[in-house]
Amino acid sequence: MEPMTFPASLDSLSPLRKYVGDAAEGTGLSKEATYKLQLIVDEIATNIISYGYGDSGLSGDIIIAGEVLDNKLRITLEDTGREFDLSKKELPSEDDLEKPLEEREIGGLGIFLTMRDVDNFNYKRIGDRNYNIFEMYIKEHDVPSNK
Amino acid sequence: MTFSATLEETGSDARIFLKGELDASSAPQFKDAVEQAAAKSPKRLILFMNELDFMASAGLRILIFAKQKMGQGVGIYVIGCKGPVLNTLEMSGFHRSVYVQDTYSE
Repeated sequence: MEPMTFPASLDSLSPLRKYVGDAAEGTGLSKEATYKLQLIVDEIATNIISYGYGDSGLSGDIIIAGEVLDNKLRITLEDTGREFDLSKKELPSEDDLEKPLEEREIGGLGIFLTMRDVDNFNYKRIGDRNYNIFEMYIKEHDVPSNK
Repeated sequence: MTFSATLEETGSDARIFLKGELDASSAPQFKDAVEQAAAKSPKRLILFMNELDFMASAGLRILIFAKQKMGQGVGIYVIGCKGPVLNTLEMSGFHRSVYVQDTYSE
């Protein structure tokens, strides 16, 4: 699919999710896996917008690209915000997830949801650009996405 | 789909009907509804999620906010939550702190 560019604003989250849905259409990726990919892209894009750009006083764009490679769908998010490698961030532990809500910390949940569900996640920093790359395997038994 | 959070107060219950997609851009609307509900000191907070199609962690954060704002004595009920939205609640362990039910009757 042709890459698309969106401004780094929370209003772009919905069109970014739609891009993922469109990229998954016809690939054979299941509805469930498509939702997971949309959730991951949403969570990471939220981080890029809020911390990579927002907290750093930067503004810019997010470029999203989708491609089918053999048996997987790859989505790449590219931005020029602050360097932020989510794979190095500490995730909530199993004990944290057992805690009642009144004792919960607010942070880290989105990343936790992200890392558990994606088949492959990769982060690269090249020059002033961040690349967050997500891959989901298209399994033969999956029912095609009918989004 | 556009998000909406509609508050209805019925006796000692505060009911919020959630529709559409709950992400970081729409979460403030949900937070406003929770704050308005909390101001009336209800005994229960009932969240109808049967028409909620998408929920990111921004939505979970508002559930934490609701619990912390209203206090332990106020039960939070999540009604009609299904599919991947329910999965998100369960994966993050939130189903242990709220009452997850298919339907709600007083």
